[in-house]
Amino acid sequence: MIAQQIINAVSLGGVYALLALGLAIVFSIVGLINFAHGELMTLSGYALLAALVFGLPFPLAVLVAVSCGALAAVAMERVAFRPMRDASVTSLLLTSFAVSSLLKVVFQNGISARPQAVAMPGWMTGAFSFGDFTIGVGPSISIVVSALALIALELFLRRTVTGTAMRAAAEDFNVVRLMGIPASRIIATAFLLSGLLAGLAAMLWVAQRASVDPLMGFTPVLKAFIAAVVGGLGSLPGAVAGGFLLGIIEVLLQATLPAAVAPYRDAIVLSGVIAVLLVRPQGLIPAVRVQRS
Amino acid sequence: MLSVEALKIRYGEVEAVRRVDLAVDSGEIIALVGANGAGKSSTLGAIAGLVPAASGKVVFDGVDITGLAPEAIARKGVSLVPEGRRIFAGLTVADNLRLGGAVHLSAPEARAREEEMLDLFPILRRYHRAKGGNLSGGEQQMLAIARALMGKPRMVLLDEPSLGLAPQLIDTVFDLIAELRRTGLTILLVEQNVALALEIADRAIVLANGEVVLSGTAKELASSDLVRQAYLGA
Repeated sequence: MIAQQIINAVSLGGVYALLALGLAIVFSIVGLINFAHGELMTLSGYALLAALVFGLPFPLAVLVAVSCGALAAVAMERVAFRPMRDASVTSLLLTSFAVSSLLKVVFQNGISARPQAVAMPGWMTGAFSFGDFTIGVGPSISIVVSALALIALELFLRRTVTGTAMRAAAEDFNVVRLMGIPASRIIATAFLLSGLLAGLAAMLWVAQRASVDPLMGFTPVLKAFIAAVVGGLGSLPGAVAGGFLLGIIEVLLQATLPAAVAPYRDAIVLSGVIAVLLVRPQGLIPAVRVQRS
Repeated sequence: MLSVEALKIRYGEVEAVRRVDLAVDSGEIIALVGANGAGKSSTLGAIAGLVPAASGKVVFDGVDITGLAPEAIARKGVSLVPEGRRIFAGLTVADNLRLGGAVHLSAPEARAREEEMLDLFPILRRYHRAKGGNLSGGEQQMLAIARALMGKPRMVLLDEPSLGLAPQLIDTVFDLIAELRRTGLTILLVEQNVALALEIADRAIVLANGEVVLSGTAKELASSDLVRQAYLGA
């Protein structure tokens, strides 16, 4: 029972961490909280549904769905954010709200406001047992996928020139441009990565629920935003730490709160967030960012 | 090699640069001197593409580069070492250098160039794996210059390399600039320390209130009454 809860906690935390990382990567470079991040997740969910309906084998459908999330993120930057390159942060924020609302309406009117069932393969809902322990396949896959994604991202940021340039751009974007590295390449890569992570998170989210609806991305991305703030906005290790912390606390409270107090779970979690920010206003692991006029 | 014609720069209502004309020939060190707020850094910023020019023209190698993005100007071989060094504090010395050559050189070329830089700046070899932010001010200045040289630029714009450095370090940095000049590099140097700048430069331009008030060979300027009274304290 406890093992099962730990697995659930880490698996939920992993999804939050992937989403929070996506928000943090874009924020660290463009200074934008992309509120349309949730819609990237929803879009990947629908892409998975469509791919399965078209009869693609499951692994291929997942690949298509994740790629759709990544491409949609790049397209979003191209269409909505690039023309606003020199605009204020407030304008960017409003733009991201507009994109988010627009996509939600398109999903509601173009597809359906009701949840659509996604036919996940049967083995996903299975479980394995070690003696007394029973562990769900879904949450285990979720943990493995999150861990692999985090490792791959870390390797990309540390080992490749583009990744190094992205870490540098988070500190001082203009100086990266002085090195001859194009601003648009850095920004497009940031969105591509955030879309990839949103797509992966969508797969893990849908795997647990076997359905997609137009508002699917809203709650997890709101949680991811909280995780990113708690971790230290714009800090990538902070986003991961915040995501896992939030996931673990949520599951822990779910499992231990008495029935009478259970409805206050989110209030308790958010009080915890306020407490953390009172003690560490820059978050758990603050971002290194040189502020320039 | 570089010419700036009737450059004007505005920040909102404020005219930071009213009119600057200057020309730099290949292999020269030109010093751009003047008091705080004279428009020196803004002029460098406009050449490098970081600051938009309100009017006027910047021509490099016969090509009009006015209004180009900083990355496009960098690719043409103009490299700015910004004021305050602005090295990437969270990155290692090695990564700082690597980014300097990222778009200009192939991987093997970059490795060879990095070796050259480490020979030129032995202190950077010692701190190769250290984070840039852990270096002292002088070491960071070395790193900023080395990073700018990584891409084998044809011209380097140096913005206040002596700022905030201890006197003996200033000497080291200026010895280095003199050495770079001997390798044939063209340098446009912005400096508040006029005496030092005139010692090292071939020619100098004095800016005041966003305009060129005096220009000539470094020797001429060092003996001019205006420069002696206003900047050299003689």
